[in-house]
Amino acid sequence: MGGFIDLYTEADTFLHRMDPRVKIVSVLMLSLLAFVLTNLNLLLLLLAFIFLLLLLARATMSRTLFALKFVFRFMVLIVILWPIFDPSGSPVLASLGPIKITEPAIWRGVTSAVRVGCLATVWYILMFTTSQRDLVRALVKLGVRFDFGLTLAISLRFLPTFGALIDSIKDAQRARGLELSKGGLLKRSRNYVAVLVPTIVSALRTADTLSLALQSRAYGARADRTYLRDLTMRPSDYVALTVLVLLLVLPTFAKFVMQIDI
Amino acid sequence: MIPSANTIPQEEKIISTRNLKFTYEGGVQALHGLNLDIRYGDYLAIVGGNGSGKTTLAKTLNGLLRPTSGTVFVKGRSASEQKVAELAKIVGYAFQNPDHQLFCSSVEDEVRFGPENLGYSDSEVREKVERAIEAMRLGDVRKLPPLSLRLGQRRRVSIASIIAMDPQVLILDEPTTGLDAGESQDLLDRLKVLNAEGKTIILITHDMRVVAENARRVIVMSNGRMILDSDCRGVFSDLAILGESSLEPPPVSKLAHRLAKYGIPQDVVSAEELVFQLMRSGGGG
Amino acid sequence: MKALELKDVRFKYRGSEDWALDSVSLDVEKGEFVTVLGCNGSGKSTLCLLANGLIPHAIPGDLQGVVTVFGRNVVQQSVAESSTKVGIVFQEPESQLFCMSVEEEVAFGPENLAIPREEIRERVEWALELVGMKGYNSRSPFSLSGGQKQRVAIAAALSMRPEMLVLDEPAYALDPMGRIGLYSVLKDLKEKHGMTVILAERDAEEASAFSDRLVLMKKGKMLEIGSSRQVLQDPQKLRSIGVTPPQVTEVAALLNERLKTSRFSFLSVNEAEKAIVGEVLRPRREGKR
Repeated sequence: MGGFIDLYTEADTFLHRMDPRVKIVSVLMLSLLAFVLTNLNLLLLLLAFIFLLLLLARATMSRTLFALKFVFRFMVLIVILWPIFDPSGSPVLASLGPIKITEPAIWRGVTSAVRVGCLATVWYILMFTTSQRDLVRALVKLGVRFDFGLTLAISLRFLPTFGALIDSIKDAQRARGLELSKGGLLKRSRNYVAVLVPTIVSALRTADTLSLALQSRAYGARADRTYLRDLTMRPSDYVALTVLVLLLVLPTFAKFVMQIDI
Repeated sequence: MIPSANTIPQEEKIISTRNLKFTYEGGVQALHGLNLDIRYGDYLAIVGGNGSGKTTLAKTLNGLLRPTSGTVFVKGRSASEQKVAELAKIVGYAFQNPDHQLFCSSVEDEVRFGPENLGYSDSEVREKVERAIEAMRLGDVRKLPPLSLRLGQRRRVSIASIIAMDPQVLILDEPTTGLDAGESQDLLDRLKVLNAEGKTIILITHDMRVVAENARRVIVMSNGRMILDSDCRGVFSDLAILGESSLEPPPVSKLAHRLAKYGIPQDVVSAEELVFQLMRSGGGG
Repeated sequence: MKALELKDVRFKYRGSEDWALDSVSLDVEKGEFVTVLGCNGSGKSTLCLLANGLIPHAIPGDLQGVVTVFGRNVVQQSVAESSTKVGIVFQEPESQLFCMSVEEEVAFGPENLAIPREEIRERVEWALELVGMKGYNSRSPFSLSGGQKQRVAIAAALSMRPEMLVLDEPAYALDPMGRIGLYSVLKDLKEKHGMTVILAERDAEEASAFSDRLVLMKKGKMLEIGSSRQVLQDPQKLRSIGVTPPQVTEVAALLNERLKTSRFSFLSVNEAEKAIVGEVLRPRREGKR
């Protein structure tokens, strides 16, 4: 149980061992890089690089495809819709009224799709190689307030629980003849009240007890706090960080300062 | 021990399963080929520890879960051919946590929800709601919001809302959890009345005392299999089976077993019965 | 110094018209195992929440009388301060475990107190061992059974090294195996570690055997307090507060009635067996001969 929220898989790979702070920063940098680059070939190179990282993380293709299936569908959608909404450029391959399908537009669509692919995959790698505990710990060490970090951690932890709760409530109401997929928009919305109210009530009850439990364990007792999980940077972490900084800085420099079109 | 499917005539079976198997997404096989026949008017307890499959089994009986293989027949027809909403007219299921069902602003509205969904006419709905409210003695709280009531009352509202759909079978998941002794006894008495009126009652529980005092037939589940299907007395005679299914026999049952060599019968389940037997074996005085 | 002292305590939850606790006075000695029996609305949960200061600091209401825990008035101590003296376990496993691993959960309390890392590690190991969950450090809460979750909740309270543990119906959501595991942990805590325990229960079956005292509560009032044996001599008393008496005590009461005596008193199946064999069955067999 953990559903699709808990993407983390324990393994002993270079990426799993990397300091989570470096991973978060790297993912941010790679995301930025995906926006800096506009050349399709370079973006494809970036995507290939990211897939290499996937391999390094020993992510199986089947799991990846399953987790990213929505992303793939979205990418295909982008490729199809872009030319429809972007009629500029030539040569025009087809036209229907105001809609002009042009070759450059298709390539722009593909470029955007690849960009989305890069972003989604690199964030997937982060979630795949980093436990929630490490993620939150890294964020707090990077300066995020512990309160926010804890809120994030608790939210993530309870997502599967609330998923199961909603399923249970749906079942309970279906057993009373409720048909959630029947009827027009208005009827369906009213039907969902039968699921929403018990869910919210349960959630509030849980939250209430949770707050009592937190207080009973001295949460917020002091300004300082010990963290059992310690994060220390190792030489390999610094190397990785340097490589990634260069990976971002060089193309950015080239593009904006030297005006090279990449 | 397990009655052969062929000995009960078809017309008398309200629910039956043939080689029922169920595997959850993720690969866990929860039911391993079950054959079960339930008669009209049975009072049956399905018992077992957590993970025994008892709740999974119950959910296949009203269509909430569809078998991975094998069939569930409700009134002779395969359940898979019917929608959950249709099966709800025949098989009612009261969930363990009433708060997973309650959402209306009054008990009446709550009880009305089920029959309205099933498409009964206004007058039919009113009649069913009245009977259900009376059956569960909710008359003096009928206008109150269910969520403001005590647990015992909330549970009765939840059960009333299922009874109002007028099903022939009532499946109740741990109906006595959280109730005090009086409320618990009261509820069980009402179930006995409903059973006497002809309704088939299926209790899912791990409280063997409740089972001993109410059910006529007990099915013991363990690891997705039925390891015993017997009348109530039979089950308590076999402590080994209960142990295998992680169930605790009532203390009196344990005591009776330890006193076996003194001639105390093994199927004793209540304090009264045990003391009666003790007095008898000594011959008075 | 007593572990817990309630002097004529009354408490009403905000917005409620009824007293959840109505003139309750109770003393609990250090090392005692007290089981508070009652059904919904009896006040047993309110009692638990008072013990570690959640009432009145986190739960608003009208509190009268004095509640002293290890010599200090709860009103004058924050919940955080009380937490190092009193640990609490609630009835829903899901709502009190909020970390992604057992280790984090048990370490959470000491972390908040800024205890040094090494000591936290020791406490985590110690607490997990006490509840029989050694080695479960990296397990996620989703992979645990209900009974295991509750034991982790106990460990998470124990890692704060409290002198008293308060449990509000901890076995409510558990199946028989879970219950047995939980009660054996509590029994150990009492017998091997001398922990003061206050257990609020609606079911007297298990806890009565090893409790030092039983407290019977109904609608906020304390009806009776005494040793398990004393209180359970008359199982009717329990029925009158809505609690099902342990079956063996019903057997004892019936035997006393039939044989016109009052000497039978059983708190466990073992005791019952011995007494019945020794005094009811064997003598009769001999008599028959």
